[in-house]
Amino acid sequence: MGCSSSLPDRGSGRLVGPNVENGGAADAKNLRVKLVLLGDSGVGKSCIVLRFVRGQFDPTSKVTVGASFLSQTIALQDSTTVKFEIWDTAGQERYAALAPLYYRGAAVAVIVYDITSPESFNKAQYWVKELQKHGTPDIVLALVGNKADLHEKREVSVQDGMGYAEKNGMFFIETSAKTADNINLLFEEIAKRLPRPALSSSSSIQNP
Amino acid sequence: MTSASSSGDETSDPKPNPITKPPEDQLAALALSDTDSQANGVANESPRGNNHNEIENEEEVAALTNSAPSGSSEVVESSGGGGGGILRARSNSELEADGPESPSSSGYAGGRGSSSASSDGSGIDEIAAVSDVEVVDGVSDSQAPWVPGKRHVDEDDASISWRKRKKHFFILSNSGKPIYSRHGDEHKLAGFSATLQAIISFVENGGDRVKLVRAGKHQVVFLVKGPIYLVCISCTEEPYESLRMQLELIYGQMLLILTKSVNRCFEKNPKFDMTPLLGGTDIVFSSLIHSFSWNPATFLHAYTCLPLAYATRQAAGAILQDVADSGVLFAILMCKHKVISLVGAQKASLHPDDMLLLSNFVMASESFRTSESFSPICLPRYNAMAFLYAYVHFFDADTYLMLLTTSSEAFYHLKDCRIRIEMVLLKSSVLSEIQRSMLDGGMRVEELPLDPLPRSGSFSPHLNQHTLPTDSPDRFREPYDGVGGPAGLWHFVYRSIFLDQYVSSEFSAPINSARQQKRLYRAYQKLYASMHERGIGPHKTQFRRDENYVLLCWVTQDFELYAAFDPLADKALAIKTCNRVCQWVKDVENEIFLLGASPFSW
Ligand SMILES: Nc1nc2c(ncn2[C@@H]2O[C@H](COP(=O)(O)OP(=O)(O)OP(=O)(O)O)[C@@H](O)[C@H]2O)c(=O)[nH]1
Ligand SMILES: [Mg+2]
Repeated sequence: MGCSSSLPDRGSGRLVGPNVENGGAADAKNLRVKLVLLGDSGVGKSCIVLRFVRGQFDPTSKVTVGASFLSQTIALQDSTTVKFEIWDTAGQERYAALAPLYYRGAAVAVIVYDITSPESFNKAQYWVKELQKHGTPDIVLALVGNKADLHEKREVSVQDGMGYAEKNGMFFIETSAKTADNINLLFEEIAKRLPRPALSSSSSIQNP
Repeated sequence: MTSASSSGDETSDPKPNPITKPPEDQLAALALSDTDSQANGVANESPRGNNHNEIENEEEVAALTNSAPSGSSEVVESSGGGGGGILRARSNSELEADGPESPSSSGYAGGRGSSSASSDGSGIDEIAAVSDVEVVDGVSDSQAPWVPGKRHVDEDDASISWRKRKKHFFILSNSGKPIYSRHGDEHKLAGFSATLQAIISFVENGGDRVKLVRAGKHQVVFLVKGPIYLVCISCTEEPYESLRMQLELIYGQMLLILTKSVNRCFEKNPKFDMTPLLGGTDIVFSSLIHSFSWNPATFLHAYTCLPLAYATRQAAGAILQDVADSGVLFAILMCKHKVISLVGAQKASLHPDDMLLLSNFVMASESFRTSESFSPICLPRYNAMAFLYAYVHFFDADTYLMLLTTSSEAFYHLKDCRIRIEMVLLKSSVLSEIQRSMLDGGMRVEELPLDPLPRSGSFSPHLNQHTLPTDSPDRFREPYDGVGGPAGLWHFVYRSIFLDQYVSSEFSAPINSARQQKRLYRAYQKLYASMHERGIGPHKTQFRRDENYVLLCWVTQDFELYAAFDPLADKALAIKTCNRVCQWVKDVENEIFLLGASPFSW
């Protein structure tokens, strides 16, 4: 937006919180992962997170301020657990310049658009480019078309979403926070795609 | 330091008269009749009639020493010259701009003057000619319970209902672009904003500053802040000073969200459209505007504390202090709009207005309640140019912690701090004490001790009463079934100047509807404005009687007391009662105030 001042310089900082809090070493079996959600205001980021973390859907969901922090642990079939530390960022324009604050050091970025809004799809592409430029190297990128329950109002086709994701090496899925469709699947698929710390001390996974 | 120069820009207007319709059409709704009406000076109180002439006593009372801890001084009844006119209708000289105004320092080239209709004042006459139109009763904004959020989005400036609103607030840019409107959709009001902008700009061009335009029952108050104009149109009879302060707070709220660096956008592009930057914040502004009618902090410039046993507040303060010592700038624990405890890092001081704006922002933005969050916010009185980062966490529906820091990297540290604080609060049962205090409420006029007690300092909690505090933003509760206090005392507000804190009594019958409470606050607000009016000597006491109340105000170096009595109350007794109230407040100050907080110096 070009007019926020006093923002941290992009890339000037360290990883946000190499988090000493949990001394219990994250090993190959118990991963801790910083995940950030980005996307236009109103596409349903907060609803996706609350569906995933609390199993709830609030149709009167309130616009996010700054960013909210939530966490959720899932168990995979190979008996590894993944603890997602989730930054649900505000999609309002005034916070756009602050996004690096939240995506810095993230192992995963989930970029969300609303399938009924081509504008939000454009915005998603903006975020993809931004993360390719400034995100953590090796970051896992997921593109999510939300509000799939509103198919009668669809304006972004599955092909468009999938095509764009493929071109950019991203994981793609359509979800509905309202009906819970594909929400857990989204996070499970992300978990499967994470680089395992046993292989190396990858910077993208917080490994105290 | 580029910012410092931005204030000079306010006189420059690269695009002087973007009027989209003739002003007459739109100003008809305002009934602007006379921009210079010194005659209209003092606003009349409600229906008609009781204005300042009914101040029975109002002057300096030299005999008053401050009554500090001893409580020994008395209000001395006195007689003397009544108060003068209070409002200047329009002033050329006193605008409090945030910087030196020098038209020549403008960053913009050209544009001033030439094309604007008339800088000789004839423009004013033009507007004056359209005076005298429909004005309202009927639609009162105090009737219905307050519903958060934007009101009446479907309205535009052509709707009759829009014109009938009692109080409008607008923010617009100096090129006339709407930024915020309290009622209706700002985009539909674009023509109207352009008109307001035109009024402001030609008066500026004449080397003048519009501050206030009076028109029949309406006042239009302007506040110019660099490229941003704030306007209030009101027929509520509130004093000019009060309305101006409300505009200042609205501006402060905007800065809290964006910082003053937003001015740079206008330097780059004078036609910059700011509305997207404020997306989703309507509710923050509407909640602030709503608080003008229920929260005395908005005109007292002081904060209030939740009553708590001294030891309980100490326990909360100690853990906050601990945290502040670990690099947190401010640690603030609040319950709704009341402070439980707050601590600032060395030398950092928090202005009560910043606290008001911050707590309004946090309470109005529902997303803070979902989970912990970390957000940039700016405290305009602390540093209007820079963001701080706020960690916010709600312990329960009403009680929340705010940890402010200058470091954008501090989230995990602040999260740890919160966990520590939460443990201590739970262990020392501070959180349950808070809940209990919420239920018990604060001071009640019915409980005013008869005689100066031996200084026991205990503030008896009303354990067996079922009433809830009425001092609440969202709900005006069933009134306490009291009959008022001794000598017809209905209510009081006591502001400690040294502490920057106030305490107000619970509402009880007969001040039991939201409407009456609002009316009383407006009356206090008016008293406050007249007591603080510059150019009129320091008033020490005022005693006013009208058909609604007897109002008594007493100002010393240490405190200000505002009290409302039955309109038939005996004056001498009322004065005596005020002395007892002050004594009472001092006796329980340990429990109603936050003492020994880090010094607030600004
Ligand atoms: N029909 C439908 N509505 C949804 C879905 N997900 C979210 N919504 C609605 O979309 C609106 C916005 O959802 P949020 O989750 O608050 O949007 P957000 O992306 O977090 O927005 P910001 O916090 O402003 O960035 C809400 O009114 C939800 O009810 C969905 O899957 N289907
Ligand atoms: Mg959200």
